Amino acid sequence: MSETVTVTLVVNGRPVTRAAGAHLTLLRWLRDEAGVTDPKYGCGEGICGACTVLVDGEPVSACIVLAAQVDGAEVTTAAGLLDRDGSLGPLQRAFHEHHAAQCGFCTPGMLMAAAALLSGGRPASREEIRAALHGNLCRCTGYGPIVDAVEAAQVEATQVEAAQVEAAQQGQRR
Amino acid sequence: MFTRAFRYERAERYSDACDLLREHGDEAKVIAGGQSLLPMINLGLVQPGLVVDISRLAEGRELTVTGDGYLVLGALVTHARLAADAAARAAQPLLPAAAGQIGNTRVRNRGTLGGSLAHGDPAAELPLVMVALGATYEVTTGHASREIRAEDFHLGFFTTGLDDDELIASVRAPVLGPGWGWSFQEVARRDGDFAMASAAALIRSADGLIIESRVAVGGVSDRPVRLADVETALTGCAVADLAERVGPIQGISPADDTSASARYRARLARVLVLRALAEAAGRAEEAA
Repeated sequence: MSETVTVTLVVNGRPVTRAAGAHLTLLRWLRDEAGVTDPKYGCGEGICGACTVLVDGEPVSACIVLAAQVDGAEVTTAAGLLDRDGSLGPLQRAFHEHHAAQCGFCTPGMLMAAAALLSGGRPASREEIRAALHGNLCRCTGYGPIVDAVEAAQVEATQVEAAQVEAAQQGQRR
Repeated sequence: MFTRAFRYERAERYSDACDLLREHGDEAKVIAGGQSLLPMINLGLVQPGLVVDISRLAEGRELTVTGDGYLVLGALVTHARLAADAAARAAQPLLPAAAGQIGNTRVRNRGTLGGSLAHGDPAAELPLVMVALGATYEVTTGHASREIRAEDFHLGFFTTGLDDDELIASVRAPVLGPGWGWSFQEVARRDGDFAMASAAALIRSADGLIIESRVAVGGVSDRPVRLADVETALTGCAVADLAERVGPIQGISPADDTSASARYRARLARVLVLRALAEAAGRAEEAA
């Protein structure tokens, strides 16, 4: 029984091991121990969503999960949405193009809530997008541009998928 | 955010966790999903010396419908799983509907059934529906277990019938019988916020007459309150007349706070009971 625990997490594809205080939340572990600072501390109560990360693909509030509890998990933060060459991924690009960030504090959490929704595979209606983001607070944008961005990213993902299917079919025809 | 250090122990089974609780007494706190405990720690309301993690127990994840008509749920079933589970929705739709109203997606992904019940928040969804359903909780010391009715378990404001070394192991709720309709209603300032008032209702009716009902309200007392007098008044009443049979809700003690006055809460409770009854009655007619 110890105040220090060794935790290994796969953060955005990179295994990270740290021996740190057992009382550290996943958010503090990521920010202060692993140097992953894109998830933000907002309310500390799981309400605002600024700390949203994916743990094994599911959105959680990193400020109210202990790092020790999720030892061994895969954690994805907003930085994990970058394309392999380090440029903005499709969802991040859509946020940029639709002016879905103003002060930017909610953005890393918004991105993860949106990423979890889009990973569902089924196209979401505008109403479903709003419902999926209801636990993420933004005090700047009025939400409209954020919903626009998620909708646009979804359309783009569908088009990319359609193009891939078409290419595969053409390949078969040849 | 700058919480005091504490020791951490991950339990492998209920008996390990309960032994630690017995040994360390008030200093120890149990964590499962942590969706109530960690906000309280972050706010400085709780400063445990030892946190016992039961989130990775091999036990406590069952979700089964028994042959004798009960939905049995392990204490570690998450709200997200309960809300989405097809078998649970078919067996007792009131429970998944209430679970789907809790907090936000992130809370539902981590938060557990046993955690919500043992926390005993008077505005919480699951204690309310358990009282409405007449569910029983199996509580364990890891060495011995006992059953306790939901109504006897929820004693008051964040106060339950759990002994210091006991944990909820599972919950047994009756499935929705033939001819019954159900409804869950709540109103909060913001989507996902604590309910200012909530109501759950179950009705069995035939030929437009109410045969049996079960009604309870949440968020308007120090615990969920079953409304036996409303149930009695509704028996034999025509579905079309039920609003006339429900007067001001008795036996509640709503509080004033920043989101609503006590008077508003009391009036809201009646409105939600009526909405719940109307929806449950409609569903009972469809089911008949």
